[in-house]
Amino acid sequence: MSDPHLEQALEEFFEAERLSRRGFLGRAGSTGVALTGLSAVLAACGGVKGEAQKSKTTKVAVVSHPKTTIGDWTFANWPLYIDKQVIKDFNKKFGGHCKYVEEINDNNEFFGKVRQQLQAKQPIGRDIVTLTDYMASRWVRLNYCQPLDKKNIPNISNLEDNLRTINYDPKREFTLPWQSGAIGLGYNPKKTGREIKSVKDLFDPKFKGRVTMLSEPYDSANTVLLGDGVNASNATIDQILGAIAKIDAANKKGQFRRFTGNDYTTDLAKGNTWIALAYSGDLVQLQSDNPELRFAYPEEGAMLFTDNMMLPTKAEHPYAAETMMNYVYEPEVAATIAAYVNYISPVKGIQDILANRKGGAAIAKNPLIFPSAAIRKQLHPYPALSPKDEQTMQQAMAKVTGA
Amino acid sequence: MLRLSLKRRRQLLPWLFVGPGLMWLIVFFAIPLLNQANVSLQSGDAETGYAFNWAFGTYTSALSDYQTQFVRSLGYAATATLLDLVIAFPLAYFAAFKAGRFKNLILLLIVLPFFTSYVLRTVAWQLILSDGGWVTNRFRDVGLIGADGRLLASRTAVIAGITYNFLPFMALPLFVSLEKIDRRLIEAATDLYASRAQAFRRVTLPLALPGIFAGSLLTFIPACGDFINAALLGTSRQYMIGNVIQSKFLTILDYPTAAALSFILMTLILVGVLVYARLLGTQQLTEAAF
Repeated sequence: MSDPHLEQALEEFFEAERLSRRGFLGRAGSTGVALTGLSAVLAACGGVKGEAQKSKTTKVAVVSHPKTTIGDWTFANWPLYIDKQVIKDFNKKFGGHCKYVEEINDNNEFFGKVRQQLQAKQPIGRDIVTLTDYMASRWVRLNYCQPLDKKNIPNISNLEDNLRTINYDPKREFTLPWQSGAIGLGYNPKKTGREIKSVKDLFDPKFKGRVTMLSEPYDSANTVLLGDGVNASNATIDQILGAIAKIDAANKKGQFRRFTGNDYTTDLAKGNTWIALAYSGDLVQLQSDNPELRFAYPEEGAMLFTDNMMLPTKAEHPYAAETMMNYVYEPEVAATIAAYVNYISPVKGIQDILANRKGGAAIAKNPLIFPSAAIRKQLHPYPALSPKDEQTMQQAMAKVTGA
Repeated sequence: MLRLSLKRRRQLLPWLFVGPGLMWLIVFFAIPLLNQANVSLQSGDAETGYAFNWAFGTYTSALSDYQTQFVRSLGYAATATLLDLVIAFPLAYFAAFKAGRFKNLILLLIVLPFFTSYVLRTVAWQLILSDGGWVTNRFRDVGLIGADGRLLASRTAVIAGITYNFLPFMALPLFVSLEKIDRRLIEAATDLYASRAQAFRRVTLPLALPGIFAGSLLTFIPACGDFINAALLGTSRQYMIGNVIQSKFLTILDYPTAAALSFILMTLILVGVLVYARLLGTQQLTEAAF
């Protein structure tokens, strides 16, 4: 038993609850995680009152965030989700100081932490937050983020075509993709005895008790739907509930060893489990220690999640935030980030940059970081659910996972 | 300077002594508790926030939805407490009566693992019990688990984890109360009428009751609310009420249900403790304690 393993397991434990998909392997930082958890509890204890706020679709006014000095500003992101050199370079190039905080460990937890201030129209002290599609959608719906001044982000032209529009923000007025990732099948062929290709393999009785399922229904239920030939991006709540029922039935038979956040990695690496519903970027990192592990995009298609940069309402440094957004959309910078985080970059043209960069050739060839055009076609964004449907789905899944 | 009469000073003095403790209790216990009570009676949803409106329905739905987890928590905690008693009693007895100059060493050994963090120790068990691990293979060899069976992610692992993690909370109070026993009483019993077994049953055990009582409370109460063992060593089929409360608070953001669940748990534990005290005999306990 070695320290890195303990650390790894610990971090994954704290990460476990839900939807934390940044690879977290063998690196430090659990105290911060515990603290953010604690502060969320404290926030929760601080009386959670609030008037109901109508969500409204506002017509976007022409925004203008005039050029100003950068100053001290704050960028909130998930742990290990950037090469810190990028921040240093940014400070050097544009002046000011970027306070980069790795405080987002869970979309819901972070939302719980800042919701009261947002609802009261107070600044939350963060100029960029990075949240996953369905949470980004909620912020757009509730007017918790403000439109971006595209004049400050000319590099938006480098955005991959398939990400230029998304159901909750069709013109990308409020959100800009940070990184994307696919939800697929992580497996150990030595244990399974064969290649794993299909969502149906998760339900194969031969692997009873050797499979982990993600507890986030946006990921698991939708993947199951894809496996049943349903286009999950247009799924109705009834179809999703059907998929959850299917997961429930298999779970009752003992098919799934556990429901996990990204803590499936320990079990998979140790051989306790053979197949995991997994996040692509995690597998890239896991493979460096466990070369026998593989990742497959299910033949029926895979769910694609995107984490998005947003400018919270009343953010005090919109120009700094937009300058950073523009900076990370420079292909050279985006390439540096992609090489570090191993997820799918939203920026065009970085594959060639990496191929020519020292030590970047392997990354440029990795289909988990640069999926082929054929696979890209098979990647499906999350469905747009109404708040009520979303809650129904979450509650149904919570019943299944026992929480 | 204001001069107070002696009488007045006498009246004030106790408050002066109680003051700091009382303030602490008010600020860190009473106020949060009231706040929590307030939250548990709110209704609304995670997206737009919750508002207070005497929503007692949360309690009934929380209880009916999470009955399984409540029963499981109480069951696991009770089993672990019993196991701890069985393991810790001989240990404490040996330390108190037989260890001689090794007494302190034994106490140190009991406490030593607890210099490491709770979560870390539990994670260590995760690695020890892993499917291909040495322990699991030996269990398999002797046929205690099937060829396809596992130790990790099972009820056994969760209960064992709780038992392990709370052992000192049982062993130390037991040791203290055993240590305090006047040996001459046991001598007198054996001189007068008793075999060693009888003396143990009639003298030692009753005098150790305060330790048993304190030890089981210190073990049972936190074990009921524990979520780490179930999260790390179990599966969703072993989740305890602590896991539900944690996920309600942090990921589902259903604060009222989480608060209501906490209150129900608190009530259940309080009632359980009262019944237990009655069963052991409160009077006997207080007498023995002084």
